[in-house]
Amino acid sequence: MKNLLRKELSELLNKQMLLGLLVSFILIVMLGTVMTSTMTGTLETSGEVHIIDLDQTDFTKQLIAKLQEQEYTVKAVSDTQPYEIILSQQNWDDAAVLPAGMTDLLLNQHKACEINSVTALKSTSTMSLAFAESSSAEAVITTMNSLLSETYLKDDLAFLEKPVSAVSYTVANNKSVQANSAALISSLAVFDQFMPLVLFLLIVLTSQTIITAVAAEKTDKTLETLLASPVPRSVIIGAKMLAALITALIYALVYGGGFLVAMLANVNKTSENIDIGEAFTSLINTQDAIKTLGLQIPFSGWIGVILQLLLTIGIALTASMILGGLVEDAKGSQTASIPILVCTMFPYILSMVSDIRGMGAVRYLLYCIPFTHTFIATSCLRFHDTGLFLGGMAYQILFLAGMAFFALKLYQSDILFTHRFANKREK
Amino acid sequence: MNYALDVQHITKSYGKKQAVRDVSFQIQEGEIFGLMGMNGAGKTTILRMLATLLRPDSGDALIAGNSIVKNPEKVRADISYLPDEAGAYKTMTGKNYLKFIAGLYFKEEKEIKLCVALGQEICGLGEALEQKINTYSRGMTRKLVLARTVMTKPKLAILDEPTSGLDVLNSLDIRKTIRRCAEEYGTAFLLSSHHMQEVSSTAHRGAIMKDGQFLAEGTPEELLQQYQAETLEEAFEKAVKSA
Repeated sequence: MKNLLRKELSELLNKQMLLGLLVSFILIVMLGTVMTSTMTGTLETSGEVHIIDLDQTDFTKQLIAKLQEQEYTVKAVSDTQPYEIILSQQNWDDAAVLPAGMTDLLLNQHKACEINSVTALKSTSTMSLAFAESSSAEAVITTMNSLLSETYLKDDLAFLEKPVSAVSYTVANNKSVQANSAALISSLAVFDQFMPLVLFLLIVLTSQTIITAVAAEKTDKTLETLLASPVPRSVIIGAKMLAALITALIYALVYGGGFLVAMLANVNKTSENIDIGEAFTSLINTQDAIKTLGLQIPFSGWIGVILQLLLTIGIALTASMILGGLVEDAKGSQTASIPILVCTMFPYILSMVSDIRGMGAVRYLLYCIPFTHTFIATSCLRFHDTGLFLGGMAYQILFLAGMAFFALKLYQSDILFTHRFANKREK
Repeated sequence: MNYALDVQHITKSYGKKQAVRDVSFQIQEGEIFGLMGMNGAGKTTILRMLATLLRPDSGDALIAGNSIVKNPEKVRADISYLPDEAGAYKTMTGKNYLKFIAGLYFKEEKEIKLCVALGQEICGLGEALEQKINTYSRGMTRKLVLARTVMTKPKLAILDEPTSGLDVLNSLDIRKTIRRCAEEYGTAFLLSSHHMQEVSSTAHRGAIMKDGQFLAEGTPEELLQQYQAETLEEAFEKAVKSA
């Protein structure tokens, strides 16, 4: 086994692979840095308010002073040129336009008025979608309404300035707590989205590695040499799978680690310097609300999650050995991993965008895919669906046993070379 | 008599196509037996069945007394198989490849070292063994894989087209190695070939195959006499055309 494992690892962990890994790591770190600086830049710009003041009255001056009181950096011009020219000249992304006659309409005629909200569209990226509305206009409207309320509402009617507000409660596991559900989700998502990501990477990498390795051995006819040697077939299969697992874990640590850094950085984006240790501590000391709602996963639960992770990787590896054994040559290996990719992508994407457990009849179809149970493992444990968690694990154990049996039979049969199911032996 | 190989009525089909039909033959210790036939005659199928990679539909073969059907694991300890155009692990050096193969057959470090030393001596690649296999020529690779096939001193070495694609000098080297190993270590050889010259100059006995059957079997001299031919090519032509 040691001899075979060393050979498999020497083939997989070569200089090119390590160099690629190093480059990938540097790229991920750079990407994370760029993302963080983009976020910080966006936050900095969101503290600026751009005003095109065409009214220029005491009221608009009062408005600007009020905005400055609220720690906005106000940049105002009274330019009548077209908006595109002003935005370009001032290098602004947005502006709030206070039209001429606005003060008269509001203060003398007591009529509602409209201000113009101008936004420069620079790309169609998702990020730009988040800032599609002018934040300057939003800040101006809120401040102006507040200013008008102060002017017109007497002390006993001051509550009308903000007559209704909401206190958020979140209900889970038959308990309720005063907490914002969005905040809870973003706190839990760091772990619950990181684990599926690592799992997805592991499945994709290990399956592709195994299928390519087996196909290459078939093409070079080194597989025939191995299978005709006195080493048990189970050892040959085991060594190949173990080597692929070790390689995939290295990849997952580098890629997954990089993504975790990026995610933690986003969670802690308000701090000037991102301190990973601090971010971790703030995550580990999650709000009391999570504990009150029973959303935390106990230590034994995490052990179960890791077991499911290993079972899933085992299934992916065994399935890849089978698919690799069935391909005729190296070319066939390119498409052979598609079934595994599809069976991984569906539950991965669906678990990211929706709650698979609440998906009606279609969820049973997804439960048939053994990988699904690992993607929803943390969700099952957080929402106390222990039956589904344990049932999923039992199903994965049975599935793995079946696949391992089939793989061993395949590697002991003619199909590996004939790609036909064997004729029955005559008695 | 105890044969190194005793093939008893083996047959093999791929779907409806019968690749090997009721073939029987024996090889003695230290004997070289050549299978001659055109493409698709069933040579490789016979070799793969004897290498325990394919299972016969019926019949059996005993290698050093062990059945390829009932005891394939035991058979694998006594054989060594060299597939047609077999490669080696390109990222390994020649020496590490020999070490790796020796490690599949032996557990003791001492045995592995002896086996590798023999492999180094047989292949005659000298210092090139320290280089990676991806720098080897076709002839060098073939010498290396032949050395790994015989260095374990198997009771039966199964060689599929051992000299295919090689130049004259490399082919001669390979043939000499085969004869030397048969004489020195008593290894029985079963080889397949398109080249009648190879069989006549290397094998003690041979068989002419067509459509999965043996048309004739014997020493090169017996085959020449049977078909009243001057050369094995001529005997082969007459055998195949008259079948």
